[in-house]
Amino acid sequence: MAKEMIAMLLAGGQGSRLYALTEKLAKPAVPFGGKYRIIDFPLSNCVNSGIDTVGILTQYQPLVLNEYVGNGQPWDLDRLYGGVHVLPPYQKASGSDWYKGTANAIYQNISFIERYDPQYVIILSGDQICKQDYSDFLKFHKEKDAEFSVAVMEVPWEEASRFGLMVADDNDRITEFQEKPKEPKSNLASMGIYIFNWDILKKYLEEDEADPNSENDFGNNIIPNLLRDNRRMYAYHFSGYWKDVGTISSLWEANMEVLDPEHSGINLFDEDWKIYSRKSAMTGHMISAGAVIENAMVTDGCQIKGTVKHSILFEGVKIEKGAIVEDAVIMGSTVIKAGAVVKHCIVAENVTIGQNAVVGAMPSEEEKGVATIGAGITIGDNAKIGPNAMVNKNVGGGEEQW
Amino acid sequence: MVNSNTNALGIIFPNSYDSWVSELVNVRLMASIPFASRYRLIDFILSSMTNCDIGNVSIMVNNNYHSLMDHLGSGREWDLVRKNGGLNIFPPFAEKDSKPYVGRVGALAGILDFLRDQKEEYVFMTDTNIAVNFDFKAMLKTHIESGADVTIAYNEQELPECIKQNSSPSKGFYYTFDIEDSKVTKIYVNSKESGVQNFSMNIFVLKRDLLIDLIDEAFVHGHQYFERDILLPKLNQLKVYAYKCEGYIARICDLKSYYDENMKLLDDYNLNALFSGPSIYTKLHGGNPARYMGGSKVQDVMAADGCIIEGEVENSILFRSVKIAKGAKVKNCILMQGTVVEAGADIEYLVTDKNVTITAGKEMKGTDTFPVYISKFQTV
Repeated sequence: MAKEMIAMLLAGGQGSRLYALTEKLAKPAVPFGGKYRIIDFPLSNCVNSGIDTVGILTQYQPLVLNEYVGNGQPWDLDRLYGGVHVLPPYQKASGSDWYKGTANAIYQNISFIERYDPQYVIILSGDQICKQDYSDFLKFHKEKDAEFSVAVMEVPWEEASRFGLMVADDNDRITEFQEKPKEPKSNLASMGIYIFNWDILKKYLEEDEADPNSENDFGNNIIPNLLRDNRRMYAYHFSGYWKDVGTISSLWEANMEVLDPEHSGINLFDEDWKIYSRKSAMTGHMISAGAVIENAMVTDGCQIKGTVKHSILFEGVKIEKGAIVEDAVIMGSTVIKAGAVVKHCIVAENVTIGQNAVVGAMPSEEEKGVATIGAGITIGDNAKIGPNAMVNKNVGGGEEQW
Repeated sequence: MVNSNTNALGIIFPNSYDSWVSELVNVRLMASIPFASRYRLIDFILSSMTNCDIGNVSIMVNNNYHSLMDHLGSGREWDLVRKNGGLNIFPPFAEKDSKPYVGRVGALAGILDFLRDQKEEYVFMTDTNIAVNFDFKAMLKTHIESGADVTIAYNEQELPECIKQNSSPSKGFYYTFDIEDSKVTKIYVNSKESGVQNFSMNIFVLKRDLLIDLIDEAFVHGHQYFERDILLPKLNQLKVYAYKCEGYIARICDLKSYYDENMKLLDDYNLNALFSGPSIYTKLHGGNPARYMGGSKVQDVMAADGCIIEGEVENSILFRSVKIAKGAKVKNCILMQGTVVEAGADIEYLVTDKNVTITAGKEMKGTDTFPVYISKFQTV
């Protein structure tokens, strides 16, 4: 039985600009928004859009991601036919190879896609926070009788040169593609989400593979080749919330936007478009007498005795008496001991921050950095971590790191 | 074969003592009463069984069990979706001359063929009115080592006033023992004694074959209650031993004890006593974290995911997705899932069932000895 459209999710990237946060896990597995991981967004979008078959292409540090995705049950993707499949590179009779680029990753899994005989394939990226109805995108693709469509966002012209840009005519037909150009001709940035007719995608993947000079990349090779051949290519305008969380500051910012759904546009309380995640079993959170809590998201298992302002606390975080947490993202099971001051920073999972330690600082004229503490790190009592620090080794009591 | 399962199956009686908490079981049964901000009472016994590698659990539902079926689903959250064993739910099986059963004998008589087919040597039977992180493995070990025919778990406590006042036979039976060298020498039914008693937790273990024989015989004689009609008369023939549970126990006997046992968990010591052992599992809902808005004021609160809090909350338990609007005041309350407290409302000592709405500006107060209960879907 054929599937109308299946999804291929590119989740192999290292996410090197997240430094300490992605040392031991792939970027799509990075925790987000109190109880999610980044990959929950594309997976939930798939399910909410009616897509029941998803291939997840993994390569870099896949263990956490593999365990998290598991059989796909939290997203309703444990299906008899279809469902979610984790696809690492594998050995074939003809040899074996790492995924050399985004296009090569899909190329190496052509036989996976063919098992479902789909009419369309949607290529998704595992490093974006976005709520998007892919079925609306597919409707557009069909209405335009397109062979290839790409989701685009309008970005401010002054920032346009940071993006891959699609130049399109009045009918949304793409006429030109500019990768991070100095002089942008368009402000339509590619979101890295594509719908292909499967026959077209397969043809171009095979041609691309045969080209020894290709980087095997969608942006650099496949899309220019489609343009060269004058294929029917269209730009689908998306105007909802979309954030590439590839850097520490954008990840911090996106988390802070979760605190203000009324204005920022990312609403996790939306009953009509739920974001699903794999949960653990913890008790409800506890707010003790003497705790102060303002404008914060708090998850099951947290115990709060100190002060928490404008912050996101993941499952099982403990904030001891007298500790102050502000503008911070504190990931699962981290302990912040008495008197510690933790501000404007990202603290990863299972971190211990010692008594009276200071981590990060509110932004000033000179310093706007988001201090970052990697998973499992211990910060000693009275230690001091500066606002631009990237901590991936334990810091002893009283020591400083800037 | 590697033996990863405990050699015992579990049988749970989710309707036991329903009549003690008539308000809370209007639309459910004892086992599905919400407890401790995100659990239902059955989660404690069921998770304890899972954590003790009991992978074959039968639930003898009798009535009002839709909420429990919804909660348990296929049993996945408790790791009870198995090819062999797993979770079985047994509703009453009506034949043309059968009457609804009361007591364990009638319930078990209906599944004797099932019991004969099972592989496990031992059987645990339990009720669900106690929240406890129970070590079934330790009890089984004690049972086997003592050479007992039947072992019953108990704890030492004074009998709660509420059940003493309410001890008419129509409300069901509770049991206390005299114990000598771990052997039960006397069983009392609905005792009114004061002082610390050996109070049965109604957790039993015995060999499956023995249980089948006892039930077969009792059913033929028209008996109903395992304790009153089997153990008590046979106390001289059977070696009945007692197993003392030293762990934290929250026993629900009426609305007041339901209120008190919830509130006790606001104390870290009690919370850790109940939850620091192996995990207690529950049905997982896709939800978002709780959100505290600017201007919220919160002290001594246990809350589940999905709550949105703008007002003041003190000394309260909030279940999933409770909303407390700006200017509302909530003190000493238990608010179940989906309760909405609108702007300016002022409530104290309330237990609101699921999806209750307290409209704007309303003031409503119970007292510490008499918390007021508001039933499901009511709007005040």
